[in-house]
Amino acid sequence: MAFGDDPSVIELAGHLPGLPPDTVERRVLTFGSGAAALRVAVPVLDAEQVERVAATVRAAARGYLKTLPTAHIVAVIDAAIQRLLDREDPWRRKAERLLPVVTGYDPEMVRLGLTGYLKTFRAHELRRFLAEDFANPLVLDEFQPAPKGGFTRAFGPDLLLHVWAGNVPGLPLWSLISGLLVKSGTVGKLPSAEPLFAGWFAQLLAEIDPRLGECLAVVWWKGGDAAAERAWLAQADTVVAYGGNAALAAIRDRVPVTTRFLPYGHKISFALVSRAALDPRRSGETARLAAHDIARYDQQGCYSPQTLFVERGGRLSPQDFAAMLAHELAVQARKHPRRVLSMAEAGEVAGWRDGQAMRGLDGSGHLLLSDPAGGWCVSCIDAPDGLAPTALNRTISVVAVDDLAEVAGRVAPHRAVLQTAGIAAPPEELFRLAGPLGAAGVTRLCALGSMTAPEAGWHHDGRFNLLDLVTVTEIERSAEALAEGLARYAD
Amino acid sequence: MDFQGKAILVTGAGRGIGAAIARAFAAEGAMVVVNYLRNQQAAEAVAAKCRALGGDGLPLRADVTDAAAVAGMVETVVAEFGGLDVVVNNAFAPYVFDPDRRRLFWETEWDDYQTQIDGALKSTHAVCRAVLPALRRRGGGSIVNMATDLVARPTVPYHDYTTAKAALIGFSRTLAAELGPFGIRVNCVAPGLVYPTDASRSTPEPVKDRITALTPLGRIAAPKDVAGPVLFLASDWSRFVTGQTLTVDGGLVMGGL
Repeated sequence: MAFGDDPSVIELAGHLPGLPPDTVERRVLTFGSGAAALRVAVPVLDAEQVERVAATVRAAARGYLKTLPTAHIVAVIDAAIQRLLDREDPWRRKAERLLPVVTGYDPEMVRLGLTGYLKTFRAHELRRFLAEDFANPLVLDEFQPAPKGGFTRAFGPDLLLHVWAGNVPGLPLWSLISGLLVKSGTVGKLPSAEPLFAGWFAQLLAEIDPRLGECLAVVWWKGGDAAAERAWLAQADTVVAYGGNAALAAIRDRVPVTTRFLPYGHKISFALVSRAALDPRRSGETARLAAHDIARYDQQGCYSPQTLFVERGGRLSPQDFAAMLAHELAVQARKHPRRVLSMAEAGEVAGWRDGQAMRGLDGSGHLLLSDPAGGWCVSCIDAPDGLAPTALNRTISVVAVDDLAEVAGRVAPHRAVLQTAGIAAPPEELFRLAGPLGAAGVTRLCALGSMTAPEAGWHHDGRFNLLDLVTVTEIERSAEALAEGLARYAD
Repeated sequence: MDFQGKAILVTGAGRGIGAAIARAFAAEGAMVVVNYLRNQQAAEAVAAKCRALGGDGLPLRADVTDAAAVAGMVETVVAEFGGLDVVVNNAFAPYVFDPDRRRLFWETEWDDYQTQIDGALKSTHAVCRAVLPALRRRGGGSIVNMATDLVARPTVPYHDYTTAKAALIGFSRTLAAELGPFGIRVNCVAPGLVYPTDASRSTPEPVKDRITALTPLGRIAAPKDVAGPVLFLASDWSRFVTGQTLTVDGGLVMGGL
């Protein structure tokens, strides 16, 4: 019997320390269809169970996680990551098998994406992550001398709540691991669009270190369920939330005023292609890199480009580049086909394409290249356009510019939503452009082709992602001085 | 093979192999531009046949060695059919395949070579330059250039003709390398002696018999035999094939790898 045919085959999502499994009510979410369909049972907790899980996590974190040296936590996470990088490991095999069904992404894309992503959480990368935010990461373990005098130590919250969103496989790992590194008792709310990976990771950690497994829970409630949300928000000391502005505003309104709230809203990213990258030798590779960024996870990530600003004056024109990009997207469509779109998404793509086609009718040099089957669409614009959201799902605007220096001004009106700028330009230009782009609100400049793979220790949306979580306790010099006088060996 | 809704340009399609190719595309539902130089009546007859076969046919006169004329023709095609998907460069300078009357090397002037090079190469260059924007707007396409198996095996040493076709094969491979990144494929079809065509009308019977005797499939090609491989190279069936020369001569020439 093929997997999925058997109604008894059901994947249990989440991780609930302190609750006997048979006491938990579950709701079934179905992904895919036909023989390939997958049923995922997500937990639905009542108010008392919420309290019980929160109390368990809080107590376990206090009794164990907070007593561990950071190096030990790094070692346990590394052990879990090594397991997930091993393609023969049962967890990894399960991830490769089920994540494509749940997210709809091409299996090969998921496999390659997972490996690239998980590598950024190996021990040496986690140490980099810590060093990015803490000049001396030992402040997480004990009081460390401060340059101004006295001593400081950083404490993570007792209970950190993550409200995750989106369907990029494994995305919750960033914040989940951040919380563990600062020794927080951790509760994460699964995104309904990918409700598996975070729970698996928690279970895997529990397998490696059962006591650590008690220090984190992975739960679910239906997005917008105010009662369930309130129950959890009341438990948390700090809340990290991802999603659209409306969802974040709703959460913010329910967060108690004494609770720290760290929202990560929707972002828009774009890319810049210098004329230096458009000569006969380099242009093919440039188009390949751009197509990779566009196709990976069908632009569902905040770091995915929606507009490419392409400089005029190269040996290949922006129109030439658009044609090469179209071919590379066709190649991607064969290698990693786009996932099946929902009716709403397909409608958005068609609407966007029609809108772009209309622009072509005025003879303004507008060029629309698209796959007859609708798997991708390139709109090449010869007008002074700025940044405009596309319909995602491999739809992209190529905007011709005389000089890449114009781009910062064109994106500046969108400051609040800017995130990544992928860039293909020579060194002098890279640094000449970086200042104005940063000032305009861009928080990450990376190579074209690397937009969907942030490096280890990156500062998500320009924030210090670990530092934002902790509070610092200082022993002032006065206390130290007074203590000296009180020592039993004081003269 | 379904060419429904596809726009195909076949140069030199008023007669012979070109006409057979045009008809074969039309039979698969294609909109075919029947390019010709002299015989309007013949081209119109081919176009009418295309329509009768279930496709569309549009006769267009243009000297393919004249870049301006070619540009005008392509402009008309795009206006008429909304774009272009496939180009078959079939036209060539008039030539008579008669071993008895062929020019020996010491009788062949540079001008003879030049005439054939213009017919095979200059024309293909002009057409490819003109159609490129239209193919790119479609996000890809297929170009098929007609060569000859004489390049691999000069059964009869037609110096000027064969040299020009050899150049065309090099041109095609190089163009395939340049246009691959745009999703445009470029291939050649290299027939052996094809009979009957205007060019082979005077080929003597003993020559045909000798070629037949050496051909594993035991006959000489008819124009129709050439159409199938051209359609294959124009279609999605060959979507991962570019820079190749497909020999169509019943097995007279084997090899290539």
